Amino acid sequence: MAGQIKKMIDQIIETRSGGDPFLMLMTKTKLMLKGIDPEKYDDNSEDTPWVINDVKRIAQEMGVTL
Amino acid sequence: MAIRPVYSMETSPERNAADLAAQLSDLSPRLVLFFASSSFEPAALAAAMQKQFSTAKVIGCTTAGELVNDKVLRHSVVAMAFDGEALEDVTIGVVHNLKTENQVPQVFTAFEAHTGQKMMDLDVKQYVGLILIDGLSGAEEKVMEKIGDLTNILFVGGSAADDMKLQTTYVFADGAAYTNAAVLALLKPQTGFEVVKTQSFCSVKKVLKATRVNEAERIVFEFDGEPASQVYARAVGLPQEQASSKFMDQPFGLMVEGEPYVRGLREFRDEALVFFCNIKEGTELSLLQATDIVKDTQAVVQTQKEKLGRISGLLHFNCCFRALQLEQWGQWEEYGKIFAGIPTAGFSTYGEQYLGHINQTSTMLLFT
Repeated sequence: MAGQIKKMIDQIIETRSGGDPFLMLMTKTKLMLKGIDPEKYDDNSEDTPWVINDVKRIAQEMGVTL
Repeated sequence: MAIRPVYSMETSPERNAADLAAQLSDLSPRLVLFFASSSFEPAALAAAMQKQFSTAKVIGCTTAGELVNDKVLRHSVVAMAFDGEALEDVTIGVVHNLKTENQVPQVFTAFEAHTGQKMMDLDVKQYVGLILIDGLSGAEEKVMEKIGDLTNILFVGGSAADDMKLQTTYVFADGAAYTNAAVLALLKPQTGFEVVKTQSFCSVKKVLKATRVNEAERIVFEFDGEPASQVYARAVGLPQEQASSKFMDQPFGLMVEGEPYVRGLREFRDEALVFFCNIKEGTELSLLQATDIVKDTQAVVQTQKEKLGRISGLLHFNCCFRALQLEQWGQWEEYGKIFAGIPTAGFSTYGEQYLGHINQTSTMLLFT
């Protein structure tokens, strides 16, 4: 399996921003400050378990249901 | 609309507050923000300010230098008053016990009761937040992270300071002085506003990955598996014993869309690097190089003037290291001129807040 991390990140950004470009950048910045760089993950990125858990935790902190 | 900055050099808290009130006697402020030298007895100053502005929300903090319009002051109190034509609404809250708890949710619950809306649902074009936080708490990151988790409203502000004594900093709210605390304010301006973050650095395209850290203590032990001190010294091209001389000019940046979120360097500790903000393990940081503070800030303020048409008030949270550099280079007067004609109040901070906790930066809140 690959690409799960990108899907999760995209879902966080979409949920928090509603597609608003300003809020998308804001959410992306918040993710980077939390240690997750959205640009590092694409559809082919390996589904690394610890990263997945990290992103799940961040989603929960940000009130996003994955 | 009235947003008015004033200042007083009176040395007693009571006389200082009375002087500020006299200067604002024709205004009925809804919010009074004040930035005070740490030379004032904090509890007395907080009480005196609230007594003088009894019908207003009154918040503030101690500083490492005060800023008003085009002036840089020491041992003063600078205040900015907002009347009802400037602010439709304001509510404030205190986040206590920063070092051991995270009470942001409790303060936000009170804000929600006040506005009748969830913090997550507030319109980011109608509301903006202010944060003044104990600059020696080491807790800015967790507070900003929690704020960011719970709302899209931008909270901008600065870390309280104590004139570089590094002993105790205070925030003020509703007549009391607090340490180990933050004051949050939720503002609903009557007109437009803009939040600005500016720093005078460019990336030198040297990227280092923090591979072993103590996040809570703001320490990086290793970059790319090597002792952080050695890697930094090599990166700036100096022997390790001289490399700390580059801390001010060559900090690191977390790059977001080409824009650095500056991570300031405090000291070498054995082979580790101690920062002024936390670094998450695995984070890639870009080495930065200082550029011209006056020129860069001038360009940012000019851009905002052109964009907004007019600036009726500007809150300025300027890092104390930027202030030191301006002082060393004899550029304060030139820097002050950037704000000439703009009603401005602010202070020299121990850190700045914009989405997160950042260093060597100016954050600003501008009102149209």
